[in-house]
Amino acid sequence: MSRSFQAIVVGAGPAGSSAALTMARAGLDVALVERGSFPGEKNMFGGVLHRLPSLEKIFPDFWERAPLERHIVKKGVTFMTGDSSFNTTIEAGSFDRPPFNGYTIFRPRFDRWLAEEAVKAGATLITRASVDEVLQSDGQVTGVTILDRKGALKAPVVVAADGVLSFTALKAGLRRPSFDPGQMAVGVKALIDLESDLIDERFGLVREQGFANEFVGCTAGVRGGGFLYTNYDSLSVGLVFHLASLKGSGKTPYDLLNAFLEQPQVAKMVRGGRLQEYSAHLIPEGGYDMIPELYGAGILVAGDAAALCNATGLNLEGINLASQSGVLAGEAAIAAHKARDFSRKGLSIYKSLLDESYVMKDLKSYRRAPQMLHNNRIYNEYPELVCSLMEQLYRIEGTPKENLSKLFLKAARDKVGLKNLAADGFSAWRAL
Amino acid sequence: MNIDEIFDFTSFNIDREPHIVLDAGVCVECDSRGCTNSCPARCYTWNEEERKMTFVHDGCLECGTCYVVCQRKAFTRWRYPRGGFGVAYRMT
Ligand SMILES: Cc1cc2nc3c(=O)[nH]c(=O)nc-3n(C[C@H](O)[C@H](O)[C@H](O)COP(=O)(O)OP(=O)(O)OC[C@H]3O[C@@H](n4cnc5c(N)ncnc54)[C@H](O)[C@@H]3O)c2cc1C
Ligand code: SF4
Ligand code: SF4
Repeated sequence: MSRSFQAIVVGAGPAGSSAALTMARAGLDVALVERGSFPGEKNMFGGVLHRLPSLEKIFPDFWERAPLERHIVKKGVTFMTGDSSFNTTIEAGSFDRPPFNGYTIFRPRFDRWLAEEAVKAGATLITRASVDEVLQSDGQVTGVTILDRKGALKAPVVVAADGVLSFTALKAGLRRPSFDPGQMAVGVKALIDLESDLIDERFGLVREQGFANEFVGCTAGVRGGGFLYTNYDSLSVGLVFHLASLKGSGKTPYDLLNAFLEQPQVAKMVRGGRLQEYSAHLIPEGGYDMIPELYGAGILVAGDAAALCNATGLNLEGINLASQSGVLAGEAAIAAHKARDFSRKGLSIYKSLLDESYVMKDLKSYRRAPQMLHNNRIYNEYPELVCSLMEQLYRIEGTPKENLSKLFLKAARDKVGLKNLAADGFSAWRAL
Repeated sequence: MNIDEIFDFTSFNIDREPHIVLDAGVCVECDSRGCTNSCPARCYTWNEEERKMTFVHDGCLECGTCYVVCQRKAFTRWRYPRGGFGVAYRMT
């Protein structure tokens, strides 16, 4: 059976549901197509949902309605080498007052809720439906087919929000046929049960306060990092690896995750917890230079499908950019309906809207950061430098101490090399 | 934590029809076999004695890693499972 809609959204992740919600609220008849048996079933991430200006505008009471775990009041970075680690944390009063800066969430709950909001606004959600072909006539996208189902879904505009590999964008000729492993990362995560009182005590939290910690130097020389986030009564603990580096290392993600969980300082944080779920997913890390064609005749690409992910700062920003780009894709489709123009030119307004938004602005300003993250010294030598320096500073051996700058220079010469230190400082300054 | 256990906690609704089909002949010639160590679900196993690659789709987490890592295009099929099949996360 074939059905016609005014718009089709492929994928009910944050990008797709935000697009469907925007269009449904404007009165368009929109289909939201998801391959999972419910939205969110297929989706994992590290765990922190950052501020969502796009959705806060649509629902002023967003933060009261969304299914959230803990709000992040404390953020930390740990430099690790072997069995030593050096931590820095910031806990700011403003992080503990609304509007909160970030929350831990579970994707199977959050994504499902957001898709249901799109349904309440009038969107038709079709689950267990894996989009297969992209229908085109005279170069204009006209609909999609669903794997193992007869007939087609037709619409003058399709939003490809099907995540990082976006086969929809590929089939519409908008993304390159293969990816560069140097522009991708893979994350693995263990979800570990832990009583909420124990979490409060262990991490110095009260009420529904949360802690988000990032780690460097914990990936045995593979370029990457680690994270530990507190949910209400569980911890999300995982590692992220640059794919080219992981591939060449011969090491496996699960062995490295196991070693991370057994590292003495991490082991204390997860002690008493029980493993609940193991998950993995790719992250488009290439930043601005990885962005495919964002639109074509009858099609728009949003979220991870368009590589709109900022994985280069200390925060991994994905959901917020996905949701914002979904809203803008929705607005572009609404404009195209008003003008009755679904040509490439008619949909080009999407690019202008994105360029004006923080999504593109941020990706542009961090354009050089991905290259910087390909510097192996960040993952080995620098964590070693920090740890050995702190160890020496605190160690008391009954001999006179050298002064701090001498100690630093000595450690830096041993671990990094002074020339490298200057070069890295310069490239970090340029990138940021 | 025991590594072998880690894989037992994730739920699946396994499709008999594989969503990824590998032309294992290509793997014999491959010089990197990056899929064997990069796949987070241990789906690829290379047997050096028999010079043979085995791929099992059962525990696939649909993460996409092998699709990117394999630069020889050894797949005769690489798609996501049919709707409703495959990995089913509960709370991640
Ligand atoms: C390890 C890891 C840690 C991360 N940490 C964070 C973090 O802390 N904070 C943050 O903001 N972001 C984080 N991200 C990034 C974030 O998860 C993504 O940027 C975000 O999910 C992108 O949303 P999306 O809607 O574009 O794509 P997705 O969330 O991937 O959604 C795509 C949807 O499309 C569906 N789909 C795919 N193909 C088809 C098809 N053919 N037919 C029908 N449906 C289909 C999928 O099932 C899925 O529901 C992390 C990512 C990873 C992997
Ligand atoms: S990388 Fe590709 S060709 Fe090489 S062994 Fe793996 S699947 Fe086969
Ligand atoms: S998609 Fe991921 S889990 Fe599945 S086989 Fe490929 S690498 Fe392994």
